[in-house]
Amino acid sequence: MIEIWFALLCFTIIVFVVLDGWDIGAGALHLIVAKSQPERREVVAAIGPLWGWNEVWLLAGGGTFLMAFPAIMAAAFSGFYLALWMVLWSFVLRGISIEVGGHFSDRMWQTFWDFVFAMSNLLLAVLFGAALGNVIRGVPVDGSGRFSMALFTDFTARGHVGILDWYTLSVAVFATLLLVAHGATYLRLKTVGPVHERSQRLARRFWLITTVLFPLVSIETWVVRPTLYQSMAARPVAWLFAAVMVAGGWALWTGLAGPPARRPAEVKAFIGSCAVIVGLLGAAAAGVFPEFLHSTLSPEHSLTAYGGAASGRGLAVALVWWPVAAGLAAVYFVTVSRQFAGKVRSGV
Amino acid sequence: MSDPAFWHRLQFAFTITYHYLFPQLTMGLAWFLVYWKWRALRSGDERYSAAARFWARIFGLNFAVGVVTGIPMEFQFGTNWAGFSKYAGAVIGQTLAMEGMFAFLLESAFIGALVWGERHLSPRLHFLAALGVAIGSWLSGYFILVTNAFMQHPVGHAFAPDGTLVFSDVRAYLLNEWALIQFAHNQAAALVTGTFAVTAVGAFYTLRGVHLDQARVYLRHGAFAGVVAAVLVAFPTGHAQAKIVARYQGPALAAMEGRFESGGMADITLIGQPNVKERRLDNPIRIPGMLSFLAFGTFHSDVPGLDAFPQETWPTNIELLYYAFHVMAGLGTIFIAVMALAALQQLRGRLETTRALLWVLMLAFPFPFIANTAGWMTTELGRQPWLVYGLFKTDQGFSDVVSSGTVLFTIIGTAGLYFVLGLLYLYLVGRELLHGPDVSLAGPKGPALPAGSVSVGRVLSDAPSIHD
Repeated sequence: MIEIWFALLCFTIIVFVVLDGWDIGAGALHLIVAKSQPERREVVAAIGPLWGWNEVWLLAGGGTFLMAFPAIMAAAFSGFYLALWMVLWSFVLRGISIEVGGHFSDRMWQTFWDFVFAMSNLLLAVLFGAALGNVIRGVPVDGSGRFSMALFTDFTARGHVGILDWYTLSVAVFATLLLVAHGATYLRLKTVGPVHERSQRLARRFWLITTVLFPLVSIETWVVRPTLYQSMAARPVAWLFAAVMVAGGWALWTGLAGPPARRPAEVKAFIGSCAVIVGLLGAAAAGVFPEFLHSTLSPEHSLTAYGGAASGRGLAVALVWWPVAAGLAAVYFVTVSRQFAGKVRSGV
Repeated sequence: MSDPAFWHRLQFAFTITYHYLFPQLTMGLAWFLVYWKWRALRSGDERYSAAARFWARIFGLNFAVGVVTGIPMEFQFGTNWAGFSKYAGAVIGQTLAMEGMFAFLLESAFIGALVWGERHLSPRLHFLAALGVAIGSWLSGYFILVTNAFMQHPVGHAFAPDGTLVFSDVRAYLLNEWALIQFAHNQAAALVTGTFAVTAVGAFYTLRGVHLDQARVYLRHGAFAGVVAAVLVAFPTGHAQAKIVARYQGPALAAMEGRFESGGMADITLIGQPNVKERRLDNPIRIPGMLSFLAFGTFHSDVPGLDAFPQETWPTNIELLYYAFHVMAGLGTIFIAVMALAALQQLRGRLETTRALLWVLMLAFPFPFIANTAGWMTTELGRQPWLVYGLFKTDQGFSDVVSSGTVLFTIIGTAGLYFVLGLLYLYLVGRELLHGPDVSLAGPKGPALPAGSVSVGRVLSDAPSIHD
């Protein structure tokens, strides 16, 4: 039961990263990939009427986290207090810039909101990357099962660590590049014309950097948390995710190499991009399990899924309604996204 | 700064109060949109399409602010109330997760289609989008009220060996008596907010002599729905709410009424100031026996005062609780009178020419927001000193790893952001109101963006009405 809920929670978060990841990545590229006002409108139009739906998966994840692992949610959210508030403020700014930025066509008004949109998305990408780094490295959980962290301490990734150190910073940079590459791949699929050509170029460039950096970050991870790879090696599900990632990487590169504006190649690259993220995060989750929050102070203080899960009948009850809700959500998504399928065009 | 619980409470109170200004209008307007879309679908009457189109634009702005201010709410359970989350998360997490999975994923899927999809979707699908958003927003309200009802009157739980709560009875929890009554009361009150907004705009246009065709629809539907909603808030829902407070939260009812001494023939106080130090009401104006009748059904029923309860179970802020309750009840009564008068004049066909009443309707729209806020203050202050009534004190619930100064920092940061947000909202809604409804779905100016171009807002200059 606890394994299932760990998996469902990871599923929710991964869905969020894949879906909102293309919004965040495209948003972070906003000022680079689109130069004129009509082009920038295309980028926002490509993110489309479903950005809220994508974002809501994080809220669904938050609620699921609280329900299934209340003690860990409590320790994690209060421990990351200021970092989480930065995430929340960024979400507020991003949502507002999408909603009000195009409310009327005044150049300065739109330029201002385009800037807010790009910066809030960039900040979200960095913060989520740092969060991933923190989960893998671990946090200074003490004997009371709690922690509280400075933004940074001595950058050593050991003992009384801060949110940022050499390792989490490099994961943050890597994750940001990954999300940006994902966003560019999405824009390549959804646009035509100059935005399409630029996103094609940017997708290749950013995926190349990401691919080169991946082994480096993997080695860093081995230095910081060697047990991660031992757990992964021992769990076939981690091999499965690794295989998904490799297959995704293959689809991605063959899709990116395709001649410009060929729809199947664009779709292939985009699916590959999603698969890379699913594989990467899935394998990491399989390696981290059962430790939600690894303690950098002493291994026995680590907060594990078994120690922090809700007891009683709650998890069994939720296993009935949760998949129903997820199925309904998929139906709404298909219904609406079919109406908005295809490429965004301006001035046909 | 010595009491961290105070700062955590202040932050949650501020963020939830601000947030709820928006969902109450969302939930109130949602059924107007559904109704007008349905009428337009059935009759093809352009007036109803135009009404739905105009209000959908205000609805979209309102919804957006509701969404962005709602995100911090869920996270604050963990960031600021870690003690509570650890204690009760296994129970309240059920409904918070349900809200995300059932309600948010429903309404956020259809909101973009509703607000910007009229030209891309078939009329039937566009109607369904309105329906999806309405159901989603009300479901969300239900799950949150079940969560709150658990804090007011905990049922459906059991205890883990370490003393924390676990989930045990799904039916008892979801059909908590408190939740059902509170939902009915709260949703009726949200409808009041929606109806006052609709009639206020109708009155504004009528007084200005513009968009008269549309204003007529707003006044007629707003006044009729308004009188029904305003009455429902008081009877039976408000009455039932008072009775469950009397039954399960005796000290809260006594404090709401500023009743320090027990006894039969309990009065209802219309005006008066609680003097907690002297344990009496200063300069009260009362209706004898009314409280006994309302709470227990006969004029002679004994209603306990605060003296009947140990002082440590008294609400911690009796004065504010008393004022909040009286502001809510007083305004609720005035709403019934205003809307009854409006509906009566409408029936006589004279509402459009009764200028004094139109002025009242136009200027009345902020008051339901005040009444709803005061109502929630009554509920939440009445619950004190408990976080989960009778089980868990508020002082035990906050995140003790987060210091007071840190919370003050995030309060200030959030307040600044929300202030700007409020200005933007008022400015943009003001623009919409001054522009007014568009009777026909005009062709696009600017670039023609086919399907796929419709984003929530950025393509407004491409959308039906162009302001510039």
